[in-house]
Amino acid sequence: MSENGRTETIRSIDEINEKIRKGDAVVLTAEEMIKLVESSGVEVAAKEVDVVTSGTFGAMCSSGVFLNFGHSDPPIKMTQCWLNDVPVYKGIAAVDGYLGATVLSETLGFEYGGGHVIEDLVSGKEVELRAESYGTDCYPRRHIETTITIDDLNQAVLLNPRNCYQRYDAATNSTDRVLYTYMGTLLPNYGNITFSGAGQLNPLCKDPNYETLGIGTRIFLGGGIGYIIGEGTQHNPSAGFGTLMVKGDLKQMSSRYLRGSSFYRYGVSLYVGVGIPIPILNEGIALTTAAKDEDIFVSVKDYGVPSRPDLRPSIKKVSYADLRSGKVEIKDKDVPSSPLSSYKMAIEISEVLKEWIQEGRFLLTAPVEKLSKQSVVKPLKIMKKEPKVSEIMRTNVITAYPDDLVKEVAKKLVEKGIDHLPVVDDARKLVGIVTSWDLARALAIDKKRLEEIMTKKVITVFQNESIDVVARKMARHNISGVPVVDKENHVIGILTTDDISKKLVGGRTTI
Amino acid sequence: MIVRLTYSPEVVEKPVLAEIILKTGVPINILEAKVNAQKGELVVSIPAKEKTLEQILRFFKEAGVTAQKFTQILQIDFNKCTSCGACISPCPTRALRFTPDWTLEFDEEKCVACRTCVNACPVKAITVP
Repeated sequence: MSENGRTETIRSIDEINEKIRKGDAVVLTAEEMIKLVESSGVEVAAKEVDVVTSGTFGAMCSSGVFLNFGHSDPPIKMTQCWLNDVPVYKGIAAVDGYLGATVLSETLGFEYGGGHVIEDLVSGKEVELRAESYGTDCYPRRHIETTITIDDLNQAVLLNPRNCYQRYDAATNSTDRVLYTYMGTLLPNYGNITFSGAGQLNPLCKDPNYETLGIGTRIFLGGGIGYIIGEGTQHNPSAGFGTLMVKGDLKQMSSRYLRGSSFYRYGVSLYVGVGIPIPILNEGIALTTAAKDEDIFVSVKDYGVPSRPDLRPSIKKVSYADLRSGKVEIKDKDVPSSPLSSYKMAIEISEVLKEWIQEGRFLLTAPVEKLSKQSVVKPLKIMKKEPKVSEIMRTNVITAYPDDLVKEVAKKLVEKGIDHLPVVDDARKLVGIVTSWDLARALAIDKKRLEEIMTKKVITVFQNESIDVVARKMARHNISGVPVVDKENHVIGILTTDDISKKLVGGRTTI
Repeated sequence: MIVRLTYSPEVVEKPVLAEIILKTGVPINILEAKVNAQKGELVVSIPAKEKTLEQILRFFKEAGVTAQKFTQILQIDFNKCTSCGACISPCPTRALRFTPDWTLEFDEEKCVACRTCVNACPVKAITVP
């Protein structure tokens, strides 16, 4: 069949809604549609099926809730506000606030945050409200402490600036240490792969041309009814990474589909359940709703390189089918892969939405305006250059040789007032390091030569590395100085925590 | 089988474990060890079944070491667990996996109680008692 045939309208949204009202609509989940297209072909499927339901359930950091607390007597213009010690954004009207999913509790840190407060509110639990103000003629009150539940709030509107990524690059780790990231625990030396997204059940993958999706599309959101209110932030349709901005009434939602979460040593987030009905308006849409995990590709990115997401090296291209199989080959090795988003819950959401439509409780809407198919994502423009190791390091490095006498070297250290001494061979290649502490101990236990006491496994850095990355590295290894080496391991400089604190003031270089 | 071995002060300095490994040829793996002059406590994984396992447990008993089987190493609260899978690939012994309907499943035999999954779980559904 020609492409023209595929875009020919088979039915309208009004016609589908009429069938839903009568209880006659044929609704399949995306998984069922895949099977039907496989067994009967797309022509038959397009003719028979009115709606395909999709679903996804994953951590969606760009989520949050607008709250209206109601006025107290005497009233307060809340300038700062906390719910269970989690700060609420108060840069809007007196008793309006926005609670973001990723805000950390001021008392519990990574254990509890915005996402958890949202889950607690949805569960009907009591939440402690605390607010401060400077007091005005019209809002004299300066402090408030009370307990609320979701029923006490005038409005609680879940409004998520970016949900439902069409697909998401998988993550692995080339370094020799465990990384704790928003993509979960990444074991050293390509020890595992994590990925996110429901693949063949993912809403935007079912209508990748955005023919049926846009502002006003009614959806399943967190167990209640929600709406697409536009493209999400970082919407990147040209690359196949579309996103959605969505909203819905939190009071109708359920904690089964909104779950606070903590990513170890990273932070907190909110698992959000989203399900979107795709009306089968033409054969082309029938075909895209039958896209399989095998057809949806992402890159496996190396999170061992602390760069911007798009600059992280791509290790290989894989499909969601590869990822879901539980292992992916990297460098001739089978690497275990597992998701962070729940496919089981995604199936459940697509089934619940199907039920709602079949029971006539959920009607479809045509978008007022479709999602953009053109927008691109730009990185943040940095006007001020980020300092590199080369700008801060000292190049007049004092070094020593492995057979130097401990006593002589100790003298040198005292004379020059330094704490770190790289040990090099005749070609100036780094072979070890000694610190003033090592030398003091060596003298105490009567060791003669440097090679007996030097640390041979030296942490080094390159001159083009960013200071922030290097400072984290030094803190992690609990060291106060690192030799700067070139590709051949020649010592070309030295960088100490002293250098960093003296030469960087408030993030600005003073050199 | 994961077993907690408790050494009394009388035997704490004897190489009981090494002797049993040599005698039986079973490569018993130490998962955790807390030893001081008064007491020794080891958590070990014994890759043996039925008769061999019983024999090993008897040897420990005869040597004055109390062996207590771990009946439940991990506790997964399936009211909290969403079967997301975040714990699966970090597990070094493949003790966690999906059933065909994508529900999380735990294979106690393979677990070495390393706690990697406890940290990896985003909803704190896994605990080690």
